[in-house]
Amino acid sequence: MDQSAPRSLDRRHFLRTAAGASAGMASWLALRTPPAVAQKRELTFLSWNHFVPAADDELRRQAEVFSKANNCTVRVDTVAHLQLPAKIAAEAQSQAGHDMYRSAGADPFLYENLHANLDELVDKLGKQYGGWYPFCSQMCQTASGWKAVPWFWVSFPATYNMAHFKKAGFGDSYPKTWAELLSMGKVLKKQGNPVGIPISHCSDAHSTYWSVSWSYGAKVIEADGKTPAINSDKTAQVIEWYKELFKDAMEPEVLSWDDAGNNRFILSGKGSWIHNPVSPYNAALKEKMPIADDINHHNSPAGPAGAHSAPPALSMAIWKFSKNQELAREFIQYLFKKENYDAWIVASNAFNHPPLRHLSDHPIWAKNPKFAMLPKEAEFAHPRGWPAKPSDAVQRIDDNYVLADMVAKAVNGMPTKRAMEWAQEQVVRAVKGQLKVS
Amino acid sequence: MAVGPQVLEAAGARSAGRLSRLREWWEQEEVFGYGLILPALALLVSLVAFPFGMAIYFSLSDYWVGSPGSFVGLANYREILSNETFRQTVRNSFVFTAVALTLKIVLGVWLAVLLARPVRFKRLIRGAILLPFVIPTALSTLGWQWMFDSLYSVVNWTAIHLGLISPPGPNWLGQATYAMIAVIVVNVWRGLPFFAITTLAGLVAVPREYYEAAEVDGASSWSRFWLVTLPLLKPVLAVVILFSTIFTFADFNIVYILTRGGPMNTTHLFATLAYQVGLNGGNLGQGSAIALFIFPLLGAVVFFQLRYIRKD
Repeated sequence: MDQSAPRSLDRRHFLRTAAGASAGMASWLALRTPPAVAQKRELTFLSWNHFVPAADDELRRQAEVFSKANNCTVRVDTVAHLQLPAKIAAEAQSQAGHDMYRSAGADPFLYENLHANLDELVDKLGKQYGGWYPFCSQMCQTASGWKAVPWFWVSFPATYNMAHFKKAGFGDSYPKTWAELLSMGKVLKKQGNPVGIPISHCSDAHSTYWSVSWSYGAKVIEADGKTPAINSDKTAQVIEWYKELFKDAMEPEVLSWDDAGNNRFILSGKGSWIHNPVSPYNAALKEKMPIADDINHHNSPAGPAGAHSAPPALSMAIWKFSKNQELAREFIQYLFKKENYDAWIVASNAFNHPPLRHLSDHPIWAKNPKFAMLPKEAEFAHPRGWPAKPSDAVQRIDDNYVLADMVAKAVNGMPTKRAMEWAQEQVVRAVKGQLKVS
Repeated sequence: MAVGPQVLEAAGARSAGRLSRLREWWEQEEVFGYGLILPALALLVSLVAFPFGMAIYFSLSDYWVGSPGSFVGLANYREILSNETFRQTVRNSFVFTAVALTLKIVLGVWLAVLLARPVRFKRLIRGAILLPFVIPTALSTLGWQWMFDSLYSVVNWTAIHLGLISPPGPNWLGQATYAMIAVIVVNVWRGLPFFAITTLAGLVAVPREYYEAAEVDGASSWSRFWLVTLPLLKPVLAVVILFSTIFTFADFNIVYILTRGGPMNTTHLFATLAYQVGLNGGNLGQGSAIALFIFPLLGAVVFFQLRYIRKD
């Protein structure tokens, strides 16, 4: 054997392998399909940090089960809720990022052209589970079809401390109207237990404002979605109500709250009443705080124009640029399987409400009398901006804290009329900048 | 400076051919010099000049997130100038920068003079002073947020227990003036170490002989500071003030975390408003116009400062 033999063999071997590999790679590139080994698809889902972390754990568990069953990987990334809009904007702008994301508010309208159409999926799920609540569907159904699947909504009832109400001589009663809240709040504040509604740059401040203003028959934009309507006698009533509540039933701290401000306020034992999802109660249960026994919920109060609620409703959208749209659809469908959705409700301890009627009869709401009234909130809920349809203009009004700032200006001494004029001008700007959706 | 072909020849690198010609070409001063600058230039172009150009283009167009718009000229600038919120932001930025900067200059020089004295644990103290500058701003500001919390404010608790204020004390983040004070305090707390340490470096470089001569002449400690220290510190101070003006004017983290621009937009700065309008609100055109508004202002500051430094 001469010494060159192995070398030449090696070289021949190398050439053969290299040629084979190049041919394989060329066909792979030409067909645009990865080889079988690399075919494990990855689905990425951008969501928020759930206010009840156990719900995210359950979501990840289901994602893992789905991954195994479908020979794929589902990655759930979560970020803080206030950072999500900017992150989504960046993905929309760069046309790259996750395959699907947790949309909210007017996102389906804002990014109508960038979202995949989900008509078929929504139709199928709706038929399967007794139909969607109107306010949930209104937030996802654009002129060009369903651009998101309603995922869950978060009831926005009143949370109150029964012990404080009893001590103030109200027995077992609670405020059924906003006017009653004012009169009871005055007594409660004197007792050292004020009520609290944020008037600050946070999203709870919007939720409550929409709710109160509808209850007084006030609007922000007319139903046409274009005509500003905030400068009105009805809004003046709302502002006057806020002013009196601020002066006689609340403390100035409401001007500085973030979304957790009112939670801390009621859990500290100082506050007697807040308008918020059930998260403080859940936190008290989890931390085994004695105050959990005193905390109860009641439906959002009513006004001269009835009871109205603006609960946050969240949805799931699939980007058009995603290469895994089918897989994303399958995953969404999987999350809506009754046993999966039920497990997720339980994990969130009744925080997540189903947008589908038949999923709403989960025993969790019947089992705990403190939760029993929650599903009822869906009956008088509307998307923000109502009677106008959700739009980027409405979203912008919320994003720029126009409503909270209007009230804040008024309670800080600006004449009501002037505060409304300021808000009207901001609404005009928000409408003017409306997206030209083709 | 350049390593010319002669040197290589002397070293015996004689082999002809393409490689050596390439090397010869590469080692010419103009080629080699530019070659060294190239990486930095590429970084500057891709990370500074390109985004800057894009921002200018956005600000002149009707550009929304995910939907390219048409050229609209100065419409965005007209729009923001007529907006009360923006005018308020301009006022806020000037108040914020002026007060914070003044405090940082005065306290920074003072701290530097103190640090220059021979004391025990000098290194430890200098290290500790730098802490606020080293901790990520977002993290330390969260701590401050908790200290200014409406319910659990440790600041109020302490002041009430010391009998300095009557309960419940100021609502730091909920009232316009207090909120501005709060963001300024955090900015000063965070920016002070940079000021103090840099000034200290300038201070250490002042020759001792000057002080000795001044002492012989019977100068008091105040006139020693005023007539010797300060004039010699001027060049260092000018540079530090220049940097600090830019950092302070363009601050984002502190306001975004503490107040999100509230209450009633009274603490919004250019950066936070631009973020709110451009990214959260999706109006990239107006957001860019707001962000770019600081550019001519800061440009003027840089111009005058640099001219002043050069004159010195």
